[in-house]
Amino acid sequence: MEGVALLKIIVFIKQVPDTSSKAGVNPDGTINRAQARRMLNPFDRYAIQKAIEIKRSVGAEVTCVTMGPPPAVEVLIETFEHGADYGILLTDKRLAASDTLATAYALHKVVHYLGDSDIILTGLQTTDGDTAQVGPQIAERLGLPQITYCEQLSITGRTLRARRVVEGGHQEVEVNLPVLITVANSATPLDYKRFADVAAVKEFMRHPEERDKRIKNVSLDTIGADPSRTGLVGSPTVVGKTWKLGEIGGSCVIFKGESIEREVEELIERLHTNGKGIEEFINA
Amino acid sequence: MKRIEYDILFVGGGISSLSAAHRLVDLARQNNLSLRIAILEKGKDFGSHVLSGAVSNPRSIKKLFPNYETTGFPIEGKCTTSYMTILGKKKAWDMPSFLSPPEMNKLGYLILSLSNVVRWMTSNLTEKVKDTPSIVVDLYNGFPANSIIYNGNSVAGVRVDSTGINEGDNCYARVTIFGDKGFISRDIITKFNLAQTSQKWAVGVKEVWETEKDLSGKVWHTIGYPLLEGSFGGGFIYGLKDKKVAIGMIVGLDSENPALHPPQILQAFKKHPWVQEMIKGGKLLKYGASIIPEGGHYSLPKEFAVDGAIIIGDALGVLDLKGFSGVDKAMESGITAGEIIFEALQKKDFSTGTLGQFKQKLMDGWVGKELKSSRYYRYAFHKNKKLFSNYLPNFLKGLDNYSLFIGFINTFLSNPIDTISSVINLKRMMSGKTDIGPVKWQEDRTYSRADYKVEAMAEVKGFSKNTIYSTADLVFYAFTHYHHGNRHIDEFNADVCRQCIQKYHTYHNEVPCVGDCTAEVHEVRLKDNKYFHFMNLENCVQCCTCEIVCPEKNLKVNPAEHGSGPDFFGL
Repeated sequence: MEGVALLKIIVFIKQVPDTSSKAGVNPDGTINRAQARRMLNPFDRYAIQKAIEIKRSVGAEVTCVTMGPPPAVEVLIETFEHGADYGILLTDKRLAASDTLATAYALHKVVHYLGDSDIILTGLQTTDGDTAQVGPQIAERLGLPQITYCEQLSITGRTLRARRVVEGGHQEVEVNLPVLITVANSATPLDYKRFADVAAVKEFMRHPEERDKRIKNVSLDTIGADPSRTGLVGSPTVVGKTWKLGEIGGSCVIFKGESIEREVEELIERLHTNGKGIEEFINA
Repeated sequence: MKRIEYDILFVGGGISSLSAAHRLVDLARQNNLSLRIAILEKGKDFGSHVLSGAVSNPRSIKKLFPNYETTGFPIEGKCTTSYMTILGKKKAWDMPSFLSPPEMNKLGYLILSLSNVVRWMTSNLTEKVKDTPSIVVDLYNGFPANSIIYNGNSVAGVRVDSTGINEGDNCYARVTIFGDKGFISRDIITKFNLAQTSQKWAVGVKEVWETEKDLSGKVWHTIGYPLLEGSFGGGFIYGLKDKKVAIGMIVGLDSENPALHPPQILQAFKKHPWVQEMIKGGKLLKYGASIIPEGGHYSLPKEFAVDGAIIIGDALGVLDLKGFSGVDKAMESGITAGEIIFEALQKKDFSTGTLGQFKQKLMDGWVGKELKSSRYYRYAFHKNKKLFSNYLPNFLKGLDNYSLFIGFINTFLSNPIDTISSVINLKRMMSGKTDIGPVKWQEDRTYSRADYKVEAMAEVKGFSKNTIYSTADLVFYAFTHYHHGNRHIDEFNADVCRQCIQKYHTYHNEVPCVGDCTAEVHEVRLKDNKYFHFMNLENCVQCCTCEIVCPEKNLKVNPAEHGSGPDFFGL
């Protein structure tokens, strides 16, 4: 790769409450993020995968960016284990309760702060907000072309060819870099962590200078963002009311009978006795 | 790419490896020695592939964690009553203590969930080295060792992951410790020709139930029903805290019966009115299976170490069948290995010169002494097959239909001279007082007979249908998870499988891999009028039974990759 500037890739990722953990609803209906187990937003894995694929095929420097409270550094470490190079943690109390408008504003400022970038990748959406708005909003703010629902991509020089998922088929598009891409979860199968990458992360996490070189903590002041446009004050979205619909869980029952008829009878019996009649069950 | 190198590399994060790591870290801390340790574990988390009974003598735990009772060491209970019970089809007879072997008395022992113990020991180890930067412990869960890297005749490390092609997928160490139950270390045994006599394996299947009754602290070991066709084995029931109970069955894999169906033997066990009484109204929480090295003394390898490597725990086969104790001995083997390795680190000698002393030290200690005294224990039953195929069923017939006394008379009258000589013979061999020299037996796979007449399993009546599961349903409770495209069991030659199927089908028997599988992995399918061997790999609980019983040595179970496999937490 000598003489050729490495592609600079930014991947926006998010730490979300673990969907398999039960804890996490406050009495007022909001998500209790402190109590819930945390994980990397599963949709972001596809964006990271694409970044690493590009890195391995044409060479690139991959920087993952996340916005969240200090524990969100965990997801950055996870991306290193997958093969990412640098991590930026944007953490600031004034960012609390940001909606998609405020988030996209803050994140686009991070892109400015990082300087030139060639490809920005994001997941399709998150499993906590499920809006799928932040990626496209960042592209608009940066004045970049955007390819949403991207399944496959290839790069030749400064040209990127992508396949988008659209209803009933797919669409091929070609664009010049720089570009923002939201990666669909129908993209190629995910790679597993490599032993060498995991070993390297364990090694540099033990050396503070190395660690600081790889992970940077930034605040609103560092990236030069206007605090009045972030957080609750910068978010026009108003949450009207949240309520708990019920809890997922309960026990699994396996029906075992001499005949299928008997099993079905048992199932009907059980549905009746569990408080919900079948009619109500179907109409619900 | 930089070589990934440690001082000490553990293959397998089980109880023996963690004991060794703890001992080593303790010694390094006391002596201000800097140390870099890596532990590879194939399970998603440390403990997720660990399954044992388990009732254990606390001696090794005390040695490693003197304050284990107050420091959060996870215990399911302390044994308050311990019975050896003989089961007929209807009755259960708790043997009086003067008749049952003293080693089976578990009073005061700890009842454990070994998966939880392993999880605790792992986090405790991380905690221990947190403030000692000179000691590094890197935990690699989800990374199995795939093969051994040799440097001439010494072990240099392992290749991690079968997909590994780069230098970066290799892990090197000055000493590699194999606590892997033989998954990889069998390669060393073969390469250096270390086998004495082959290992005798048994398979254990276990369920954990939530029950209405509180049985905590109660321990039963059973023989008899449902194993009435001559296979060596027995059942166990351990009462855990929080109204849970562990129910299991252990069957020797050297059975003539090619279709043991271990999970279904366990179901039959649960149908017994005596067990039904304990679990009625309860709920199945988890199911799992694991193999157990029962060979003992003469199945140990000739050497326990080669240049650059040491073998410990179940990979070595330190379980003592007398008293069925494996956990304390596996831990002790780890502790002893830890001490030897520490010596090697100080001397900077990683050849058999220092590592080879491990065998001597372990065999001179209580582990070696106990293994030696019970060296004929398994052989006694191996030689006296009638015990389990004739005498016991005869006795039980008497017990069920009349009384205990009639049971004894019944057994005696069936063949007076034989019975007496058998009993005397058995007693003598079990005590190990008379020496008959080294014993030999064939590999387990050689005993299954294609023409075996499978008798219908003894059936009892009056059980609750809700407590009994088909094997397919049981697998659901092992919570196995594999990734798309997973191929972890090798079948070397499909024609060999076809011939094997034909051979067993001639006598209307199932092939051993299908008949002995604990998780409905193996299956014979019909396609284009031909039978062929098929595997439902997504069900596999990584027990390796199929590899052991395959008559043609045509199967090989590789460690699960990418953190796949079962989830045994709580078992």
